[in-house]
Amino acid sequence: MSEFLDLESQDGVRMPWNVIPGTKQESTNSVVPVSAIYTPIKPFPAMPVLPYAPLRCRTCRSVLNPFSTVDYAAKIWICPFCFTRNHFPPHYASISDENLPAELFPQYTTIEYDSSLEKPTTPPVFIFVVDTCMIEEELSFLKSALSQALGLLPDHSLVGLITFGTFVHVHELGFSSVPKTYIFKGSKEVNKDQLLEQMSFFLKKPKPTTGVIAGPRDGLSTESIARFLLPASDCEFALNSVLEELQKDPWPVPADQRAARCTSTALGVAASLLGACVPGSGARIMAFIGGPSTEGQGAIVSKNLSEPIRSHKDLDKDSAPHFHKAVKFYEGLSKQLVHQGHVLDLFACALDQVGIAEIKIAVERTGGLVVLAESFGHSVFKDSLKRVFQLGDYELGLSSNGIFEINCSKDVKVQGIIGPCASLEKKGPLSSDTVVGQGSTSAWKMCGLDKATSLCLIFEIVKKEIPDATVQPTSNQFYFQFLTYYQHSSGQMRLRVTTLSRRWVAGPGSLQDLIAGFDQEAAAVVMARLVSFKMETEAEFDPIRWLDKSLIRMCARFGDYQKDSPSSFSLSPRFSIFPQFMFHLRRSQFVQVFNNSPDETAYFRMILNRENVANSVVMIQPSLISYSFHSGPEPALLDVAAIAADRILLLDAYFTVVIFHGSTIAQWRKAGYQDLPEHQAFAQLLQAPRDDGDQIIKERFPVPRLVICDQHGSQARFLLAKLNPSATYNNEAPLPGGDVIFTDDVGFEVFLDHLQRLAVQ
Amino acid sequence: LEPKALPRPLSGDVEPKSLAQMYPMNCHPRFLRLTTSAIPSSQSLSSRWHLPLGAVVCPLAEPPDGEEVPIVNFGSAGIIRCRRCRTYVNPYVTFTDAGRKWRCNICALLNDVPGDYFAHLDATGRRIDLDQRPELTQGSVEFVAPTEYMVRPPMPPLYFFLIDVSISAVRSGMIEVVAQTIRSCLDELPGYPRTQIGFATFDSTIHFYNMKSSLTQPQMMVVSDLDDVFVPLPDDLLVNLSESRNVVETFLDSLPSMFQDNVNMESAFGPALKASLMLMSQLGGKLLIFQNTLPSLGVGRLKLRGDDLRVYGTDKEHPLRLPEDPFYKQMAAEFTKFQIGVDVYAFSDKYTDIASLGTLAKYTGGQVYYYPNFQSTIHGEKLRHELARDLTRETAWEAVMRIRCGKGVRFTSYHGNFMLRSTDLLALPAVDCDKAFAMQLSLEETLLTIQTVYFQVALLYTASCGERRIRVHTAAAPVVTDLGEMYRQADTGAIVTLLSRLAIEKTLSHKLEDARNSLQLRIVKALKEFRNLYAVQHRLGGKMIYPESLKFLPLYGLALCKSAPLRGGYADVSLDERCAAGHTMMTLPVKKLLKLLYPSLIRLDEYLLKAYAEADDFQSIENRLPLVAESLDSRGLYIFDDGFRYVLWFGRVLPPDIAKNLLGTDFAAELSKVTLCERDNEMSKKLMRILKKFRESDASYYQLCHLVRQGEQPREGHLVLANLVEDQMGGTNG
Ligand SMILES: [Zn+2]
Ligand SMILES: [Zn+2]
Repeated sequence: MSEFLDLESQDGVRMPWNVIPGTKQESTNSVVPVSAIYTPIKPFPAMPVLPYAPLRCRTCRSVLNPFSTVDYAAKIWICPFCFTRNHFPPHYASISDENLPAELFPQYTTIEYDSSLEKPTTPPVFIFVVDTCMIEEELSFLKSALSQALGLLPDHSLVGLITFGTFVHVHELGFSSVPKTYIFKGSKEVNKDQLLEQMSFFLKKPKPTTGVIAGPRDGLSTESIARFLLPASDCEFALNSVLEELQKDPWPVPADQRAARCTSTALGVAASLLGACVPGSGARIMAFIGGPSTEGQGAIVSKNLSEPIRSHKDLDKDSAPHFHKAVKFYEGLSKQLVHQGHVLDLFACALDQVGIAEIKIAVERTGGLVVLAESFGHSVFKDSLKRVFQLGDYELGLSSNGIFEINCSKDVKVQGIIGPCASLEKKGPLSSDTVVGQGSTSAWKMCGLDKATSLCLIFEIVKKEIPDATVQPTSNQFYFQFLTYYQHSSGQMRLRVTTLSRRWVAGPGSLQDLIAGFDQEAAAVVMARLVSFKMETEAEFDPIRWLDKSLIRMCARFGDYQKDSPSSFSLSPRFSIFPQFMFHLRRSQFVQVFNNSPDETAYFRMILNRENVANSVVMIQPSLISYSFHSGPEPALLDVAAIAADRILLLDAYFTVVIFHGSTIAQWRKAGYQDLPEHQAFAQLLQAPRDDGDQIIKERFPVPRLVICDQHGSQARFLLAKLNPSATYNNEAPLPGGDVIFTDDVGFEVFLDHLQRLAVQ
Repeated sequence: LEPKALPRPLSGDVEPKSLAQMYPMNCHPRFLRLTTSAIPSSQSLSSRWHLPLGAVVCPLAEPPDGEEVPIVNFGSAGIIRCRRCRTYVNPYVTFTDAGRKWRCNICALLNDVPGDYFAHLDATGRRIDLDQRPELTQGSVEFVAPTEYMVRPPMPPLYFFLIDVSISAVRSGMIEVVAQTIRSCLDELPGYPRTQIGFATFDSTIHFYNMKSSLTQPQMMVVSDLDDVFVPLPDDLLVNLSESRNVVETFLDSLPSMFQDNVNMESAFGPALKASLMLMSQLGGKLLIFQNTLPSLGVGRLKLRGDDLRVYGTDKEHPLRLPEDPFYKQMAAEFTKFQIGVDVYAFSDKYTDIASLGTLAKYTGGQVYYYPNFQSTIHGEKLRHELARDLTRETAWEAVMRIRCGKGVRFTSYHGNFMLRSTDLLALPAVDCDKAFAMQLSLEETLLTIQTVYFQVALLYTASCGERRIRVHTAAAPVVTDLGEMYRQADTGAIVTLLSRLAIEKTLSHKLEDARNSLQLRIVKALKEFRNLYAVQHRLGGKMIYPESLKFLPLYGLALCKSAPLRGGYADVSLDERCAAGHTMMTLPVKKLLKLLYPSLIRLDEYLLKAYAEADDFQSIENRLPLVAESLDSRGLYIFDDGFRYVLWFGRVLPPDIAKNLLGTDFAAELSKVTLCERDNEMSKKLMRILKKFRESDASYYQLCHLVRQGEQPREGHLVLANLVEDQMGGTNG
C-alpha cells in the first residue's frame, strides 16, 4: 500500500495496475481496466518550477523527461514515446551527466514550467448568479454569505452580478447614479449577439462589420466591459448596496404554483456576458440556486405544484417530461462555456431539488464546484463558500483555463476520462475507438481545476498476444506523459508535466507480478466511477450484476483456491479488501440511487468524479473510529457490532461526519459530568472525536455536514444507514450493542460466502 | 375684396349676448356656443345659410371666481333623468300634477318625481324649493354620481412620464427642465393623497424605475428586447406619490446627471409606448411623453419625410399630414380603451413626424406641445410654465361626454381630440379646462314643429378627489323661419372655430389649396346669400354687405387661410410646425383661437416713456392696431401677441435710450441672440410688468418673448410680417 501512496505523493497518480497486463487479452482478463486516477495540479512542495519553456520531441511533441535517453556527447536525446532522436538546442550546450537540467533529474518525474513570467497576468473573473425566488429568511442568509464572500475576493479580481427569478437582471455595477439592471425575459434564451446589442455594447465604439466580437481585443471597448465587470475593490460598495436592497422576486406566486425561476436563462445570459467580455481568460459563473427551475429551456418541472419533480423512477421510465430538453440546453451551455474557457459553479441550497441532475453536465465539463445543502443558512453552504475564497493551508487553489494532454507508448491508447473535463475532440493515433467518458481525443479542456481535481483516465492496451516468445520485446516499459497547461491562481500560465513509466508483463507466470502491482483502493475508485458512468449512459444497465460479475471474475483469476472448494479460497493481501469495497460500493449512494433524489445522486457522483483516491474510498466505504476509556481511538469495523453504550463513534462518510455517543456516554454527557473537575477524562473523551471531526471538516470541500447524535436518537440514522447489517431484524438474537438495522440487504458475511462459492466454480 | 376695408376685430372675441337675454337660465357661453342662436325650422332654410350649423363646447372652461359650477348631490333620490331620452333634470323641465310629475323639455315625456325629490308647487306652478335647487335654475351644474355611474372604483389621478434620454434630448437640456418642473409641481398635483406617479425613460432601450417607498433610491431597470417588450416589475413602477415621495424626489434630482454622458442616438419610442400602455392599463391616467429623436427602432419607427417639395400640389401632399404607420392610431385606440390620455411634448431640431406622434394626443383627448429646436436656455421658461400648467390644472379623469338635443335635430359630426365611442359618445380619458370640442348639427326632418331646441352637454368623469361626477350644461335656442334671423343671431367666434376645424381636417385629405378654397367659397356663398336677401330692398348692387354679427368673418376667414396649418405651400411652414399648429387649433376654445388668428399688435414705446405711469396704468396700452405694415412706425416699439408668443419689434429709429434700457449692453447686438430679462431701470421693469400682466390674463400657454429689429431678415418676415394677415405678402407664397 505505502509504495502506492509514495508514488502518489511524487506524481499525483494512483493506478489499479502498477504492473500492467501487457496485452489486449491480458488486460481484458484482468477485469479492472488499466487506468489512472491523476490529480493534475496536486501541490508538491519540493517540485521545481522551471522558468523556461519545455523542450519537446520534434515528432510527438512530448516533453523532455527523466525517461529520455540522453547522449551527452552528441547533445541528443531520444524520446521514450516515439524513439525520435532530438538535438538539444544551443542553450542546453553545457549539459552533461554531472550537469543535468532539472527536467532530467530522475526524481522530477513531475515538474512545472512557467515561461510567462514577463507577461501581464489577467485578473480572475467572478460573476455571481443569484436566485431571488426564495423566502426572505433564505435570501437574507444568502445575502450575508455573499457579502462575506465579496470581502474575501482578491482586490484585483473582476466581479459581476446577475440576479434572477421571473426575469434575469444583469446589474450594471459601473453605473454610479442609481442601481441599474438590464432585464431579460425568463422564458427566452439570449445569445451573445443579442446580448451585445441589447446591452448597448456598441454605443461608443460601433460594431465591427466582420469578425468575432468578443473582448477588448476584438472589438469591444474596455469601457463598455467595465460597466458589468469591475475590480472587486471598486465595486464592493455598489455590490453591497445592491445586495442590501435585493428583494425576493416580486412577482406573485399563486398558492398552487411554483415560483417562476428561470435558472437556465440566467446562466445562459451569464455565459454570453462572459463570452462577450472576457473570452479565453479565467472566469467563473457562481450560481446560487434556491429551488427548482420552472422557466426557460432548462426548466425541470412545470409551475404547477400538482406536478411532482422528477424522481429516479420517472427518469428510469423515461417519464420526466422536461428532463431531456433541459439536459440538451445544459449540454449546449457546457459547449459554449468550454469554448470560452469559463467555469460554472453551482451552490444549490433548497429542500426541493433544483435541477443538479440536469445542470451537472455543464458543471462537470467545465470543472466547476458543486455544493448541495438544505439551506443557505446551513454551514455546509456557508463554510464551503468561505473555503472557495479562503487563502492559506486549506485553500482550494482554484486555477483555470486548463488544457490536459496525454502522450503514451504506442501500444497504449486512451479510451477517455471520467472526471471534470471536456474532450477537445483532437482525435489522434492514441485515442481509442472505444470511448469511455470524455474520449475520442488526446486533449481535454479543464476550464476550472484545483489542487484536488482528480481525473480518471481509462487506457486500452492494444498490443497483441505474441504467440511464440522467441522475439523478445525491446522494452517492457510503458510510458505515460500527462501535460497540464493552466492558469495558476497567481494568474500565470504554467505547464505541469508528469511522466510515468510502468513495467508490463504478459503470458503465464505474470499473475504474481500483476498481483504485486495491484492497488485495490485505486481499483475500487475506478470501479466506482465506471459503474456510475455506465448507470448514467447505458440503458438497461444492471450495476449490481455488473459489479458482482466483475468481482467474481477478479476473484476467480487472482484468488488462490482449489476448484469447487469454497473453503479453500483465499486472496493475497493485495486483493484482500477489494471484495469489501465492492460490497460497500453495491450499497453506496452511487449504486443504490433510489434512496436519493436525482439531484443528490448527481451531486454525489460529481464529487466522486473529482476527488482523489483516499477521499473516494471514504465515499464508498465510510471510515469508523471508536473512542472509549479502554483504549485510544481505534478503527472499528463498519458494522452494527461497533456500537456500544460506553463508546463514541466517529463516522466519516465524506458528505456527513457523524459523532455518535453510546447511550451511557450520552447519559453522562446530559448529566454534565464533563464539566466536573473530577471527570476531566470524560471531557477529553468527548472532545477527542470533536477534534478529529473538525480536522476532517477543515480539509474537505464541500464542507461535510456534521451530525452529533446519541444512540437511539432520531439522528442516529445517519450512522446506522452506513453500517453493515450484521444484526438485522432477520437475525434471531440481537447483538450486545442492542441496535438492529431494518434492512433486507445481505450482510457482508453472506456476501463473502456467495462470492467464494462462485469464484471457485 | 380689399381686406383693409373690412372691419377689424380689435377688441378680440365678443361673446354673443342676445341668447342669454332671451334664455337667462342657459349655461354661460364659455361652456357652449352655437354658431347661430337661431335654429332654422327647415332643411331648406338650413342649406341656404351655407355656414356650419353647430356648437363649440368647452365643458370644463375656467369660470371667474364666484361663478363656479354648483355641485349637486341628490343622495338617495338618485340622479333625476328623463326615463326615455336620459336628459338630466334642468331649468327647462316643467313640473305638473301638483309636483308629482315633471315633463322632459327635450322629448316631452311625463316622468314621475321620486319621493325624495318631491316638492310642492306654488300658485304659478313653480316648485317652492326652487331657490335651493341650482339644477332647476342654472344652466350649469355638476351632479355627484352614485355607484351605478361607475364601472369600477374611481381611479386616482395618475401621471406617467415617458422621457427621451437620447443624446439630442440630453444636449437640448430638456431633461433637466422637465425633471425640475415635475419636482416643483409635486405638491400641487391634483388628488393628494391618492395621486400615483411613475417614470420611464428611453433611448435604444427602455428604462423603468422601481420607486418602492422603502428604497433609499430608485432602481433603474433596462429592457432592451424591443420585439418583445415587457414590464419588469409587478408593482412599484407606478407608486403612490405621498408614500414614495422621497424616492421620487431622489429620482428627479438624479435624472439629469444619470444620462449626462449618454451618447445613444436611437429612439425606441414605439416599444416604450407599448411598455407604458402595459404599465398604465390597470388604472389609466395621463401619459406625458417627452420626445426628442425621431422614433428609429422597433415597432412604430418612422422615416424622414416631408422634405420633398415636389409632392406639394399633388395628390401625394396630404398623406404627409397623416400618420405614416397605423401603429400610432392603434396605440391611441388602446390608450383610450384603458382610460389613458396622452400629451406629447416634442423638442426635436429635426423632422420628428408630429403628424404621426400627434395622433396619440388626438384620439386620447390629449394635447401636442411642440418646441422645435428646444434649447433650455431659450425655451426653458416656456416648457416650465406649460408643463406645470398641464400637471396642476384641474383634470377630469376617465371621462365620457355626450351632447343631447331636441327632437328633429341631431349632432352629426364631432371635431377635436377624443375617440368617438358609439355614434355620439366622446371618450375622453383625461380632459381639462383648455380643451374645446366642436360639433355640427343637422335637421333630421324637413320641418321642425317645435319652438325651442334644447341642448344638453353631459360630461361624466372622475374628479381628482375621487368623486364620480356629471357636469351638465343646458341651453335653449329658438327655432326660426327667417333666414335673416339666422344671420343676425350668428356667432362669428363659434363659426370660425368650427370652420377652422373643418378646414384643418380637410388638409388631411386634400391639398392645402383645396382646403383654403373651400373655406373661402363657403364664406363667400354665405355672404352672397345674405346680400341676395337684402339687395332687393336696399338696392346695393355689387357692394358687399354683411350682418353686424358676421362683420369680422371675412377677415378671420382670411387669417385662417394664412394660419400655419393652411398657409401657403411647402416653403412657408415646416411640415412639423404645420401639423403641430393643426393639432393645437383643433383643441382651442373660441377666444384663444380668435386671438391666434388675429393677434394683437400694441405700441409700447410711448407708454414706456411716460414718467408717471404706475404699475396699473394699462388702459392706455390696450389699444390694438390693425395687422398691416403701416401700423408699424420705425420710431416705435411694438408688441405682437398671438397668445402663444410675444414678438417685440424694435423700430429702426427707435430712440436708443429705450433699446439700451431694455436690452442693456446687448442693445446693438443681433437680436436673435438676445434674451429679454429684467434690468435695473424703471423702463425695463415696466415692460416686464406688462408682460407679466399679459401672461396672467392668458395662462394656458406661456408666451416666450422674441425680439426682432426692423429690417432684420429673414427673422422679421418670419416673426412679424408673415403675421400681418391683412397685408398682401402676409404669410403666403402659394
Ligand atoms: Zn517523440
Ligand atoms: Zn326626455
